[in-house]
Amino acid sequence: MKTKDQRANIVSTSAGTDNRGDAKSAAVVVPPRPAAPGRGNGRALPASVLTPPAPSPPPHLDDYRNIIGQAQVDALRFLARGLKGKTIKMVNSTAVGGGVAEMLNRLVPLLSELDVPTHWDVITGGNDFFEVTKAFHNALHGSPYELTKAAQEIFLMYNEQNRERLQFGEEMVVIHDPQPVGLIRSRAKTSARWVWRCHIDLSNPNAQVWGFLRPFVEQYDAAIFSSQSFARQLPIPQYLFYPCIDPLSEKNKELPEELLQKVCDDFGIDRKRPIVTQVSRFDRLKDPVGVVQAYKLAKKYVDCQLVLAGGGASDDPEGAAVLQEVKEEAGNDPDIIILDLPPWCGLEINAIQRASTIVVQKSLKEGFGLTVTEALWKGKPTIAGAVGGIPNQIIHKLTGVLVHSVEGCAFQIRYLLTHPEFARSIGVSGREHVKENFLITTNVKRWLLLYRILLEKARRG
Amino acid sequence: MSATDKPLPSKPLSRKPGKPFYFNTSEHLLRIGRQKATTLSELLQALQTCPEDSIFQHTFRTLQEHHFIRQGFSNDFAHWSLSACHEPVLAEQLASVDVREFTAIDGLRGRMVETVDEFLQEHPRSGSRAAHEAFYFCASDLVVLPTTFVANSLAGFLDGLNQVSVHSIHHHFIEARLRLHRMSNDFSQWLEEEIGLEQAAEAIERIDIYTHTMEGVRLQIARIVGQALN
Repeated sequence: MKTKDQRANIVSTSAGTDNRGDAKSAAVVVPPRPAAPGRGNGRALPASVLTPPAPSPPPHLDDYRNIIGQAQVDALRFLARGLKGKTIKMVNSTAVGGGVAEMLNRLVPLLSELDVPTHWDVITGGNDFFEVTKAFHNALHGSPYELTKAAQEIFLMYNEQNRERLQFGEEMVVIHDPQPVGLIRSRAKTSARWVWRCHIDLSNPNAQVWGFLRPFVEQYDAAIFSSQSFARQLPIPQYLFYPCIDPLSEKNKELPEELLQKVCDDFGIDRKRPIVTQVSRFDRLKDPVGVVQAYKLAKKYVDCQLVLAGGGASDDPEGAAVLQEVKEEAGNDPDIIILDLPPWCGLEINAIQRASTIVVQKSLKEGFGLTVTEALWKGKPTIAGAVGGIPNQIIHKLTGVLVHSVEGCAFQIRYLLTHPEFARSIGVSGREHVKENFLITTNVKRWLLLYRILLEKARRG
Repeated sequence: MSATDKPLPSKPLSRKPGKPFYFNTSEHLLRIGRQKATTLSELLQALQTCPEDSIFQHTFRTLQEHHFIRQGFSNDFAHWSLSACHEPVLAEQLASVDVREFTAIDGLRGRMVETVDEFLQEHPRSGSRAAHEAFYFCASDLVVLPTTFVANSLAGFLDGLNQVSVHSIHHHFIEARLRLHRMSNDFSQWLEEEIGLEQAAEAIERIDIYTHTMEGVRLQIARIVGQALN
């Protein structure tokens, strides 16, 4: 948990058209270095993964041309033409860490490059505020919670403080997630369109917390959710923006064959034999023990190796316990390779996914499941649990296969390894599905469309 | 050999087009509606009352969203009937509805309602069986955009056809009939009215969109136009 001083250092992080790609204008807190990574099932990790790499600058729009095609790049420019000079403010609760910050790091420069200057602000707050919002987060996911007057007052107080500190001169203001939702009270002072972007699963929220937050949400011009099932009954339009990946990031970019070989050699993965991989934190909800069990069932019929590449075991006591459970289930099988990797190993994860024959994501519970998106983008035949946002990505037997049990997963491993043509075809369709729906450029398009639609509605009154 | 494989009789190009063909495209933003169905009976009720743009989204638009699937992802209602309700008979019946038979959403809605209604009359117990997952009625807000391609000749038309996005192909070939209110598409209409190529126009109109990806549809249109050009 960040200290108040650390959070207070995160101020405005504007990225206008003139300084696109430059470091943020205010000090950014560097997260503390996690403990040394674990050693999985005995293999030493190579030195190359022990320190974080330097961050690479964000790509330009034209860098995506070979991926999405000139016609789609042109469509983005045509969409943006009608918004030239119009500005956007994005507000969230953290500049570093987490999917929202990662997404905004890419989205903000791309919008600004399209002459839609986008400013990114981060709210500040004390330990008390972030403890309350963490409790709200869990409650909105369905955890039991008693909403106290004190919690409400803390929430409102910090929202009010941020409201007084921040300026809202832009034509569209986007508030991300519940932490800053109270900033809508500034709406009366502006003629802007206000949008609430909810990144969390609201399908089963704690009634008290939702009842407290809902009156704020209803004042927005529109709300955005990541899945149809997360939406609520609201008197405002609700749009569907799927989460997205950046095909040019370390985690997803094309890699040379030599690098795939090197990474596999470093981790003791034999590329001459089939490789089945799950990439996930060591977390019971990802069911890594179930994946080992499925592998063992499949192995009675087909030869393969299992790679479990994850993290979280070295900085999370529960993660360490899960890793231990996985190691016990794996026993001494030399074909099961368990990797507890630090969080900055995007390149290595990318290489392992690309080298794999099949990718598995046998989650028992999931948000959207961007690891599935990453695997699909790489054209990998993917087996995944039919939970959370995964069915939005995997259309059974068309863009991947959905499973509901260890036995189901085992069968699909056997089937895909013995029917390479079918495996290849679902891999191809899976990649096309991501290209159509889950890339950062599609996200840029959605924001531009929304902006145009809201401005048009405002114009018509 | 299908109707689209037959070579077209050679015919000299009759005229230069009076009007150019402007390749446009449409982009959609998905909006989550208020209605959802958890049983086939609820689906039937909602089909009768949901907004027209919801019917459009789950039939016309889904073809664009899943344009790369060859095996056919005909419409969301068919897909849900199979994947969530495990009713393959109804799924096949709904999947066989060709959106291009309709020049207005009203007629398409009527056909969907009729299909589900008849099925439930024959299988009343299926109506109340809970689906594996709910069906959420969505709709699209649409923005039409220009592209950089404008054709002043048949060769230019072929060039544009080969370079525009599949979204543009969908806009002109599938969505067009709702704009034109006739059983045709923008490509066929232009070829017939501006170039005088009635047979090519008809051949294009007969392309089966449900057994090809949208790229496959593009290739077939381009092949027909290419033959006419030669």
